[in-house]
Amino acid sequence: MTDPSTGAAEDPAVTLERLTGRFDDCLARLADTPAFAKHTAKGGVIDYGRRIMGLPGGPAVLYDRVATMEEAGIFAGTDWDHPEILQAPLAPNTLRTADQSTATLECLSELRLLAVGQGDYFHPAISSEQARHFVSQVLALNLTFLFSAPSEADRVALGRLAKPVRNLYAFIAERTGYDNIIGSLIAEIERILAQRPIMVDDVKAMVTQIAICMADASIDTAAAGRGADRLVSALFGPTAGCREDPGIQVYAERLETMDVHMLTQEANGFARAMHDTGLVSPYHPVFLRYVAYQRPDLVSAALGLSSTGRDGFLCYQQLILRLIEDAVHVETAQSVYGLALMLERGILYVPAIGPALWRQIFLPLHPAVEQSIAATFGAARPARVFLLAGVLTVLGQPMGVGQGNNPTCQSARAISMWAYTDPDYLLQLIAWAARDNTLTMHFEGQPITSSELQQGLMAGPLLDVDAVSIALVPHLDRVYIEMGRHTAGRPGDPHRWINAEFHGWWVGRGCRLAIDVPTGMLEDFDGFVRQFYATYHPYHNGNQPVIHPQPAGIAVTDSAARFIGWHAIAIYRVGLDPSGGMRVYFYNPNNDGGQDWGDGVVVSTDGNGERFGESSLPIAQFASRLYLFHFDERERGWPETVTAEEVQTVEDFARRSWAAAR
Amino acid sequence: MADTDPNKSYVALFGWSLRAIAGVAKFNRKYVVVAPSWAEQYAKENDIPFIAWDFERLNERSWEIAKILQDEGVEVAVPLYEETVEWAGAVNAVLQNKPRLLSQAMLFRDKALMKRRAQLAGIRVGIFEEAHDRVDVVRFLKRVNQTLLKLDGDPNDPIHFKAFDKAGCLGHRVIRTVDDVENISDDEFPALLESHLDGWEFACEVFIHNRKIRFLNISEYVHLGYSVFIPASPKLEAYREQITREIEKLIEAFDIDYGLIHPEYFIANDGVMYFGEVAYRVPGGNAFELMERAYGFNAYQGQVLVMDPKATDEEIEAFFPKEVVDAKGHAGCFLVYPRRRVVSEMQIPEETENDPYFEYHDLAPPLEQKVSKRAAFGNHWGTCYFFGPDADRMKEVLLEQEERDFYT
Repeated sequence: MTDPSTGAAEDPAVTLERLTGRFDDCLARLADTPAFAKHTAKGGVIDYGRRIMGLPGGPAVLYDRVATMEEAGIFAGTDWDHPEILQAPLAPNTLRTADQSTATLECLSELRLLAVGQGDYFHPAISSEQARHFVSQVLALNLTFLFSAPSEADRVALGRLAKPVRNLYAFIAERTGYDNIIGSLIAEIERILAQRPIMVDDVKAMVTQIAICMADASIDTAAAGRGADRLVSALFGPTAGCREDPGIQVYAERLETMDVHMLTQEANGFARAMHDTGLVSPYHPVFLRYVAYQRPDLVSAALGLSSTGRDGFLCYQQLILRLIEDAVHVETAQSVYGLALMLERGILYVPAIGPALWRQIFLPLHPAVEQSIAATFGAARPARVFLLAGVLTVLGQPMGVGQGNNPTCQSARAISMWAYTDPDYLLQLIAWAARDNTLTMHFEGQPITSSELQQGLMAGPLLDVDAVSIALVPHLDRVYIEMGRHTAGRPGDPHRWINAEFHGWWVGRGCRLAIDVPTGMLEDFDGFVRQFYATYHPYHNGNQPVIHPQPAGIAVTDSAARFIGWHAIAIYRVGLDPSGGMRVYFYNPNNDGGQDWGDGVVVSTDGNGERFGESSLPIAQFASRLYLFHFDERERGWPETVTAEEVQTVEDFARRSWAAAR
Repeated sequence: MADTDPNKSYVALFGWSLRAIAGVAKFNRKYVVVAPSWAEQYAKENDIPFIAWDFERLNERSWEIAKILQDEGVEVAVPLYEETVEWAGAVNAVLQNKPRLLSQAMLFRDKALMKRRAQLAGIRVGIFEEAHDRVDVVRFLKRVNQTLLKLDGDPNDPIHFKAFDKAGCLGHRVIRTVDDVENISDDEFPALLESHLDGWEFACEVFIHNRKIRFLNISEYVHLGYSVFIPASPKLEAYREQITREIEKLIEAFDIDYGLIHPEYFIANDGVMYFGEVAYRVPGGNAFELMERAYGFNAYQGQVLVMDPKATDEEIEAFFPKEVVDAKGHAGCFLVYPRRRVVSEMQIPEETENDPYFEYHDLAPPLEQKVSKRAAFGNHWGTCYFFGPDADRMKEVLLEQEERDFYT
């Protein structure tokens, strides 16, 4: 620990005690500083914090002080003051590229979230479960710090933080249990993958970390077992031809020498791994491009198509081969999965889709759109390639669309619903937005043109979203807000009018609200619940499944069942789950649908009959968080058949959470 | 805001300093911040009592702000920055009905007037002259060196150049050659020229209430413009009696009833003390922070306290610790300037970080790679703080830092 050049060799324990004393002094001074001047008093706390973290036993000293630190205001005025918005995937970058004090704050915040996850510290803004997810993900993304010797790159990037950061992760691993680390990381990855998000860059980064550990003989990864193997091989070696991860170039040369039997095996291997995990190996596009030129008969095997998909491919072979040629590259590997699922959906049989995709292939992009796409995806391929690949994934995985790190849940929901139920309209919107950098929608007959409007909810560039969202969301966001302005002065909730005008004719014009808007108090909750059941519950609506997805509004609550805010979702299905209970299957534009809304209301994303990307809840629990839904005025159902007990159950759930004071 | 005492004065802080506001907000006096309008938003968002005012050159509007504050009930104006000293003087002249406070403030703002006033009162000062252009500077440089019997070609003894109305190290240049004179920009005139005194330079922070010294801190400069620590070493503290007498002369010469002054002195090799200059405001160079570290009292509160005529002797005695003996140790700081011309990152040298005297720093990573040439004293990039029990070791530690690269 000591630097021989100073000659002053201090026992680390003495150093720790000395620094801890001063850290506590600084912390007390920070606590005593008025809120408006906190930033003038943080320097000492942060700098001592970093040095303490670098000493043996240091992280434990800081761990014991997380509550004091937070109360003193160490995170005040920064993003870390809102742990609920923190994104684990950003953490590795913060540590490597931010300045030292920012990176130190990140470390202190991770210690805090560890304490929340361990139940040693209660934080009002984040549940212990969310905190555990966060810490697992951060660990997964930073496994190298834990297991391998510091790389030169990290040494340079981290500088004086290298030791504190390694100490920190060793401490976190110790607290969460070393044995099970990789196991729980894999569980975390599988939980995310079960929702089949479109954006899997973070997942790929985590799997890469696991792969690095598995390749290192000095690390015992036996406990990781088959789960790790499955993920790593899906990404780096799904077939016999690339099992040892030979590199793209070598693999491309190998293909030339393979006979049809080997090629068929390769095709099946790729398809199996892709459908099993939702991850597409970079070797897969290489293979697909090769067979598209040389052996088109192997394309459907390489995509893992069923008879439906194969039929679609055969009917539209020229289009599909062209899409592969233009959109499928190593950089856009996930588009293979999108293409396969799009074929499986059979939407090519909708007459407008084929021609609309041909338009997309030849679509010239507006320079501004090209620029935004290149800013996110880089310049390895032209922007139109990324957009075309994005179109395939969105059409293939309508429920994989996420809002990223942006306040644009309405726009993400709209893209998802259009991709699902109105794909040719979506393609039209993309064409307008991408080619003209503007689009026009109508509100009660009045045209609204996005390029003539001020910005909407999003203030800066979009973060962590797919190429379609990059092209569309800036416009949708503005139009949506403008529609809100058109309803100014009308009584009630503006979504009553906006939702149908914004999304399409298939949104019910009837609209029911649980609350009285001016007062925010519950209003005729009994009638609200009955009408919801009579519209959506098959036992009360004449056994009618949901035809088109319907936008709905929920009152989001945290794991302690406290009200957090209003949120846009869409109801896709209502039906019996495998255990015979009635469930609502819905789409949540939040990137991670698995959420704990408190009071036992835990949103499920897997294992209760969900299709990929769906969230679900038993219908009574769902209704208890609902505050706005649409229905058809002419299809009233049978509200009187809903039992009083059922209504009471819903109301109890609501009153124990967001409606407690309403 | 802390509970305020209605029997104490309502104070107005002149200038925007978060550290000062943070200190005063926790103090027992009602306060309002008078600062430029760019701070208004921040003040409003944080419930800081605020009156917007632009402190340009003192002008006829000083009466206007004095009236505003009078109507508001303010009784004392406390200047935080050099630029606000004359405003505070003008306003206090009205609020406290003491017209001489305005002319007193003007003395503090003009280094040549200040020096003459001291000289008239029998305080020893070095050779000085006013300069209105570069020709004056060259003449002074030559005359001083002629006096020293230097021949053409001998290296000159340096002279000091201080812009009249700039605070502390800003606008302070050391002139050795005629070339140095060329580097002075027009806006630094008029200025005060002083001969260089080889000796021991130090500064004091003096809290004066009712013409009595209530707390006298001596800040020892290890290297002017780089490093300072308090309390001073025993060797310099040995002069405390003599220093106290000099400061009492200063109080008489400048007719100071209340407030904080920040004079600078030299002790020449023969043990004679020379007066350098004096400021009537918060000192630069982090002296307040060092006092808080060493003694544990908030010097901003101390300044407000001694500026308040309503403060009682008991209150003042309870507030200030006993000089030197009550200090928990020596607190020092080192102002960091990049030593290289091109820098890309900030890194505390390992030897510094591992030194038990090192506390923490507020250095920011470099925003631009090219280091602009240091024009005068000032423009440091950040501060490193040190603390320890031994003055000699502190001096060593601070000197060691000058050999180290904080920016590479």
